[in-house]
Amino acid sequence: MVDLVQKTQSALTIKDLNTENPRWCVGCGDFGVLMGFKRFLVEESILPHETVNVSGIGCSGRVPFYVNTYGVHAIHGRPITVAMGIALTRPDLKLFVHSGDGDALSIGGNHLIHGIHKNFNCVFILYDNQLYALTKSQSSPTTRKGHPTNTQPQGTSLDPIAPIRFALGLGASFVASTADWLPDHFINTLKVAYAHKGFSFVHVLQRCPHFDPDNFDNKSSAWFSFLTHEKGIPPDKRLADKTETIVHDPSDEAEAFRFANSQHTHFGLFYRNPDKPCYDEMIRQRIVKAAKRQRSTILDSYKI
Amino acid sequence: MDNKTIHHVRVGRFELLMDAGFGAQKAGDILIRAFARIGKYVFIEPMIPAEISPPARSRPALSGVIMRVAEFNLENIGNNTDVILASHEVVLDRRIDDEEYNPNCRILLDMCDKDLPSATYDNVLQRIKDLRLHIYPFEVAPGPQAIIKSLAGKAKNMYYLGMLACIYNAPEEFVINEIKLTFGAKLREDVFKKNIDLFGYGYQYAKEHIPFGYEVKSDPGKNSHEKILIDGNSALSMGVIDAGIKLVSGYPITPASSILHTLAKVLPSFGGMVHQAEDEISAIGTAIGAYYAGTPAMTCTSGPGLSLKQEFIGYATAAEIPIIIVDVQRSGPSTGMPTKTEQSDLLSVMFGSHGDNAKIVFGVFDIIDCLYAPQLARYLAEKLRLPVFIMSDFQTANSYKVLDKPTLFEMNDSNGISEFVLNHFGIERLPEDIAMVRTEQAVVGTPGKMRRVTGLNTDETGSVNYFARANQRSHTVRNEKIHCVQRALKQPKLFGDQKDGEVLIVGWGSAKGAVEEAVSYFQHAGQAVSGMCLRFVNPLPPMLKEIFSRFKHVVTVELAYGDQYKHAPLAMLLRSATLIDVQAIVCGATGRPITPRSIERRVKELFYG
Ligand SMILES: Cc1ncc(C[n+]2csc(CCOP(=O)(O)OP(=O)(O)O)c2C)c(N)n1
Ligand code: SF4
Ligand SMILES: [Mg+2]
Repeated sequence: MVDLVQKTQSALTIKDLNTENPRWCVGCGDFGVLMGFKRFLVEESILPHETVNVSGIGCSGRVPFYVNTYGVHAIHGRPITVAMGIALTRPDLKLFVHSGDGDALSIGGNHLIHGIHKNFNCVFILYDNQLYALTKSQSSPTTRKGHPTNTQPQGTSLDPIAPIRFALGLGASFVASTADWLPDHFINTLKVAYAHKGFSFVHVLQRCPHFDPDNFDNKSSAWFSFLTHEKGIPPDKRLADKTETIVHDPSDEAEAFRFANSQHTHFGLFYRNPDKPCYDEMIRQRIVKAAKRQRSTILDSYKI
Repeated sequence: MDNKTIHHVRVGRFELLMDAGFGAQKAGDILIRAFARIGKYVFIEPMIPAEISPPARSRPALSGVIMRVAEFNLENIGNNTDVILASHEVVLDRRIDDEEYNPNCRILLDMCDKDLPSATYDNVLQRIKDLRLHIYPFEVAPGPQAIIKSLAGKAKNMYYLGMLACIYNAPEEFVINEIKLTFGAKLREDVFKKNIDLFGYGYQYAKEHIPFGYEVKSDPGKNSHEKILIDGNSALSMGVIDAGIKLVSGYPITPASSILHTLAKVLPSFGGMVHQAEDEISAIGTAIGAYYAGTPAMTCTSGPGLSLKQEFIGYATAAEIPIIIVDVQRSGPSTGMPTKTEQSDLLSVMFGSHGDNAKIVFGVFDIIDCLYAPQLARYLAEKLRLPVFIMSDFQTANSYKVLDKPTLFEMNDSNGISEFVLNHFGIERLPEDIAMVRTEQAVVGTPGKMRRVTGLNTDETGSVNYFARANQRSHTVRNEKIHCVQRALKQPKLFGDQKDGEVLIVGWGSAKGAVEEAVSYFQHAGQAVSGMCLRFVNPLPPMLKEIFSRFKHVVTVELAYGDQYKHAPLAMLLRSATLIDVQAIVCGATGRPITPRSIERRVKELFYG
């Protein structure tokens, strides 16, 4: 026990967070996310025993296994529902939700709507590889039009859902976007998301070299820009001088929509509203405000 | 009226039928409260339409209340009705379809709408005549009629209340007092006075014009305990508080919603919260999340919601997260009949969710079981880290009864369950060393014990493991949890003192009252009939085969469909568990509760014919 107490007090290292070796393909973007996530935990000194990672099913859903904290690998599409139970009852815990594009926007779309709407306190990470990977390449709601998959070998027929627009449209209190191959930007994004109280929606472009090697050209940066602000997220260190950087005030919702609606890709903080009330807190407040009663009185109002 | 015939009875059953929204249940509620206060036992079953306000004078608008009053503790709503008061012929005609009247049933029919251009009064009166029931048409006099009109027709229930109070000899002052308690603070003084006047008019009318009355005997000596009047869902809700459950999440669905409504008002006062989720999947997911994080949690639903929860139920089994699920059964399949009772979720609860997934399933007999069920469910869920189902049904959820005020226990942790509750449900305390699939089950937040749960198969360390032996082991461990409950269950009790013989009648859950009454009827008649009712259906209690084999015939009575070629659910279960030729003899999906009389009729027909 002495050991444990000391451990929780001494500085956290990446090694403390390691568990087993991930079972992902070589070059998978999930490695980048996992590493960035661990570095973020270390840099923020977030205690592992106070941390819960909740995920759905998918390649990305395995993340909780690979971080030595508490974790729930739930069922496909439903991690938000489980996270809600934790957020309501244990505000002391640090809560992270990991969800694939299929998990979050297809089977779990309803829960994402209500997670955003209820604005319960957690960091929500959307691993967007624009297809169903674990089930071997089917079209997802974010698959680009024309891209062939096993369920649409003729090419995916519909235009994709745009996650950022989706979140902004629902009135999300925090909307940011980043990518698995931008470690510095990714970590900074998580830090800002973590500092925000409410449902912090973090969209991550994630490479799936196994099923879609041509997606997301991580060698060039001409196809995206960074949104920055003194209260936002700085551009990725490595790319700062090679990439367009746009100053954007994250409290400007109209501008946020404009960036989200453009065909061009933007990374950074689109929008943040620190004043949106959190459902979990409001529900807990009901307990605080209610007149306390003894359990022995429960039948009193049924007395004859 | 001087030449009234007064019937002296030990138990009486009567009903009030009106259009939805006109307060039939409110009137019934007031009347039985008055009865309860003078020391009578009552059992009340509301009849509720599935829609909010179906058009008046239409069959779907039937909204009413069945009341049973006795000098002794009542376990069910009984068989048939002695007196029906109907506000017009359409609701009466609809209710007659249910065939729940006594051969000498007396029907009071308000002829208020007889001038409407319709032939239905004639048809219905003819129908009643053909059935040889007694009809007493009446009209509300112009005086009270004018008051009713001034209240937009709304207070007619008070007039009917007056009539019924007089016919059943409920002391006027007690009823008036209940009207005060019900409306006193809510109505404007003049409106309130009109209500009381209407009650008086109705009472007076019956006194002068209705040639019969009933006197339910009472035995004040044995009835001095403090009493409560409570319905099944309220009892269950209070049981949730008593059990220390701190999060209840659900999605509105009849007939489970009232649990959410009741708890939403009071649970915060006891440190708990009610969460209305976006759907039933989310509701159970949130309860599972809370329980994983160490907070006792429950979700409540009915058939359609049960279907949605199935994937998460198997998940909880695999991930070893405790979860309590209340299924208030209603008539299915699909949306079925939302406000009618049935017991047909048995198999989808037992075998729902995919793969072989272990869970505990028990039904409630009655309202008192509803109160204690959450404690037992919490105990089992936490000890076994499995889903535990409490099976109720529309009938149990919505019926009210008077009972002696039960003892409360204020359970704080699973080990704190009282011997009384364990005893009540016929189960011994479980052993301390029940094996889990994963050795480590630390609650989130415990330093140094970080663990990940998953629906994937794991070995005992919690690592994902797809090897043959590891998966087989998980199944063995989970099923052993169920077996250890079976070993802890006591042999089910037989009703009465017939330990062997001709016929054994078996029911489960809410069938108990009807089975017990039917068995008592046969045993009084000297016939070798016995009966039992099961609470636990998964696991089944031990010794069933041995008990069954002492009877020539073993039959089930259940509110689920069965026929010559299809075994009803309970019969199917019992056949497979005992290899005895169990046949369902009452297995209708009529939406109406099982009556003792229907059991008696079938047993006579088949075995004493
Ligand atoms: C109810 C249910 N339906 C289907 C599946 C099969 N399934 C597992 S993962 C997955 C899609 C995963 O895609 P995504 O969420 O984008 O995650 P990725 O693998 O791409 O990280 C599907 C369909 C399942 N596990 N559960
Ligand atoms: S299939 Fe794609 S997403 Fe899944 S592990 Fe391989 S590269 Fe990663
Ligand atoms: Mg994906």
